[in-house]
Parts: sequence; structure tokens; C-alpha cells
Amino acid sequence: MATRERTKELIDGIYNAIIEMDEDAVTELCKTVIDEGIDAYYAVSEGLTKAMDRVGELYTNNEYFVPELLLCADALYTGLDILRPHIKSNSDEKKKQLIIGTIEGDIHDIGKNLVKIMFEAAGWVVHDLGKDVMLQRFVEEQARTHSDVIALSALMTTSMTAMPKAIAMIKAADPDVAVMVGGAPLTRDIAVSYGADGYADNAGEAVREANEMLKRIMK
Amino acid sequence: MRQEKMTWVERLDALRNGRSVDRVPFLSFILGFCAKNVGYPVASVYSDPERSLLAQMLTREQYGYDSEPFYGYASFGGSEFGGEIKLPDGEYEQAPSHVRFAVEKEQDVDRLELPDVKNAGVLPSAMKFSQLQIANGIEPSVVVGGAFTIAGNICVVDTLCRWVIKKQGLVHRLLRLATDHILDIARFWVDRFGKGRVNIQIWEPLASNQIISPRHFEKLVLPYQVELHEKLLAIGIKHILCHICGEQNQNLPYWSDVPMGKFGIISIGKEIDITTAIKYFGDRYVIAGNIEPAILQTGTPGEIYELCRQAIEKGKHAPKGFALMQGCEVPVNTPPYNLYTMKKAVDDFGYY
Repeated sequence: MATRERTKELIDGIYNAIIEMDEDAVTELCKTVIDEGIDAYYAVSEGLTKAMDRVGELYTNNEYFVPELLLCADALYTGLDILRPHIKSNSDEKKKQLIIGTIEGDIHDIGKNLVKIMFEAAGWVVHDLGKDVMLQRFVEEQARTHSDVIALSALMTTSMTAMPKAIAMIKAADPDVAVMVGGAPLTRDIAVSYGADGYADNAGEAVREANEMLKRIMK
Repeated sequence: MRQEKMTWVERLDALRNGRSVDRVPFLSFILGFCAKNVGYPVASVYSDPERSLLAQMLTREQYGYDSEPFYGYASFGGSEFGGEIKLPDGEYEQAPSHVRFAVEKEQDVDRLELPDVKNAGVLPSAMKFSQLQIANGIEPSVVVGGAFTIAGNICVVDTLCRWVIKKQGLVHRLLRLATDHILDIARFWVDRFGKGRVNIQIWEPLASNQIISPRHFEKLVLPYQVELHEKLLAIGIKHILCHICGEQNQNLPYWSDVPMGKFGIISIGKEIDITTAIKYFGDRYVIAGNIEPAILQTGTPGEIYELCRQAIEKGKHAPKGFALMQGCEVPVNTPPYNLYTMKKAVDDFGYY
């Protein structure tokens, strides 16, 4: 059993390696965590997830950009692949679920992928429908998964005009699900006018916005 | 409507050559809207040079903007290097998009070759369009991406982004090919139409700070962009219209090192304030911008009118001139009156 100091050393190491985009170091440290009997769930939440929170801040503050965020995510997934099989399942814990996709007519998915990364890093179960997603697919996936949030992405100004129709279809089928939108041409005002419950200006803010949106809706 | 003292040809010529104009010119980034405006499929503005030119000429006549019809789209370079492009055909589609990239993995880069500019991809259509421009008394033009945007049209973008940090040699190879390809195109056009007669538009969305850092812009992109522009000017291109698309505020100090000709046009998006653009470029180049396409599509005429008024007042007295323009392409579903409102604002506030 690792000492408290040793555990901290390894978790800090994972945290720093994620932020430094060092996939090899993350691999080595996560294997050591398992070898030394440290709780895998603790390593994920205190090492990987907290590091990605920091990466999100760096991205929001224009210190990190898409390349940096993608490489941090690569390191994150490497760590998750090693640690996840060792996490003891807790049937009492219900993870929040997200459906995400780039709207019909739009094939640009970098922004959508960054948002997906941030939700996965925060421990959400993500159902990624991909890009150029027909509007009905969101409705069908919600009927299948009963997710907490549906996130719609668009880069093209023309494609974003599909969002109000998508939101209306989703809400008609499931009035309780929260819908958030994002993408370069969108603003909070446009999001409101489209009937969305939430809007995130960038990937770094998306998870916080989703959680706040859920709190607002539950009131 | 006020009586104009210059034709659009005279106005653009004056703008590009440092002479005074009667009013603020009104330029438009407008393609698919034109096709829809005259009852053609949106795709025809990319697939059919004759319909494309006609749709653009008729739409310009209707809305009174000054810019010449042009042929091009932001994902240019994709099919030319061996990828696959799909034309817009759905209700919510505006522009050609990638179906398959020429480069998906490292080994694909080694197989890349410079395209034959006479036959590759859409270049035969682009050349046909330029011949139609000449036949209609319009100066021939060619539209390309910036070096990094073309690199991102050759290679899957998230892969390119990873290489920006981990495998910069591959990024240099792609930027080299992109730069040389643009120069090959420009030489082909200049050989065909003559020195000083070809206008070029360079659109650079991918190097924005929504994607890469200013540090990577400076280190990786800037040397190729400077080389490209210097060589374009050396082979007989007089004016470059460079659309610095998206959030590029942190790149502006570097863009100011990129020559645009005498006088080039710097086209900016909503993210860059016109006053800021004038600070960086106004003593050397015309500034054009920056009406937000999303507001053009979703806003009220009153909002657009006010936005245009503010833009004109900020830019009108820029040292080398200002043109009111959209910050990026006019969405195909823009309410027609909203586009007309831009001209109305120019008529009301743009006269000198």
C-alpha cells in the first residue's frame, strides 16, 4: 500500500503529465498507480479529471489552443484506458449522460470533439453521434439513452439554422431534457432565440455551463 | 438613394490604387446566396462557371455592391491534392465540404505531389470562370486558401493540429506543398491573362487563434505566408485581398509583416475591431469588414443598419481606405432585406 506522500507524488505527476501533454509519462505513472495499489478511481478523479479541468481553463484563457488540448486529451485517454478496468463499480452512482453531435448540414467536428473530451474528462457518459447528424437522430438517441443533456454544435452559419427545428423536435419528444448549443457563429442571444436551455462559448466552459443549466432547470 | 459619382469599376480601381472614392465601397463575400437568389441550386455556384457568374452578376445588380464575381470556396485544395469534396445539396448546407482528406496518416504525406494546375480538382472550372470574367469585362481573379488552410484541406485537421506540436516536419512539408501550389496557380493565371491583370483572394480561417496559438502562427505559418505574398507580388499580382478569418487578434502583429501589394485589402471578421485593424494595417492597406454573417442572417434590419453605421464611422477615414463588407460569407438563408440594408447604410453614411 502506497503512503499518502507517495500517492500524492504519483497523482501530482499524472496531473502535471496531462498538462504537459506527456502521454508516455501518463502511461508510466498510471501503471505505477495500479502496481502500488492506489485506488484507480481516486487517480482518475484527482489526477486525470482535475488536470483536464486545468486544461479547460488554459484553453478558455487562450494559453492552450486546439493542438495542445488534443494532445492533453490523448494523454487523458491513455490514462483512462489503464485505470478504468481497475475502478471498482459503484452501482449507486449514476453518471450524467450527454448526447452530442454536429448538426445536419455541417461536417466540422473539431469543436464538437473538444467539448466531448471535456465531458468525458468530467466523468460523463457521452453518446457521440458524429457530424452532419440528421435531426431525428438526436430524438432517437434520447429515446434510447434518456440522457441529461443534448449538445448541438455548428460551425456554419447556414447549418446553425437547423438548431431551432432540432430543439423543437427534441423537446416535443422529451420536454425534460436540457439542450445546449455552441459553435463559432452562435451567441447566447441566438441560443435563447432558438429555444436552447444553455450555451457555451468554448469547450473549456461547456461542462460548467451544462451543470449550471441542469441546476437552473431543476429549480 | 443618392446619385453615385463613380461606377463600381471606377470605385474599385480607385480603392486599389490609392485614389479617393465617392463613397465607402461595399464589398460582398457572397456565393451560395446568389445561386439561390436567381433560382439555381446552391451547388451550381461551384459546379457551373456560367451559372455562377450570371447569378453573381445579377445579384450584384440587385443589391448594389461593388465587388466582382469570383469563384472559390474555403475547402479549396482538398480535391486538388487527391481528397474528395462534396457539393452542398441539403437544406442546411452552404459550401463544399470534405468527404475524404488526401492525408489521414503520416505515410500519406510522402505520397503527395504538387497538383497539375491545368487539370486538378476544380481548377479547370476556376479557369473557365476567369475566361468568362474577361468576356464580361471583369478582371480575372483566383481564390485560394492561405498556406495553413490549404494544409488543413489536404490533411485531417485534428491530425494536422497534433503534428503542429509533435511532428512539425510533416507540417512544414504540407505548408511547402500548399505554398508552391498557390504559386503555381498564380503563375498559370498570370501567364494566361498577363501581369498586373489578375486579382487574388487568399482566405485564411484555419490559422486563427480559435485553432492554433500565435506562437505556432509565428513559427510555422508566418514564414510561408510571407514568402507566398512576396512571390505573388514578384510575379505580377498587384493587389492581394487577404481574408483574415475568425479570431486572429493575437496574430495581427505577425500579419502586419505580410505584404499585400499596393494597395492590398485586409478583410476582417467580426472578431477584429475595425479600429484595431486600422492600427495594424491602415497606413498601408485598405481595411474591409466586418459585419457578422450570423447577425445578417438572424438580426433585424434595424440591428444591421446600426452595425453598418458603426462600422462605416470607424473605418471611413482609414488612411488607405475602407470598404464595408461581411465578416465572412453571406449565409444562403440571409433575409434579402438584411443584405439590402448594408447598401442602405452605405448610401446613408458612406459618402465622402
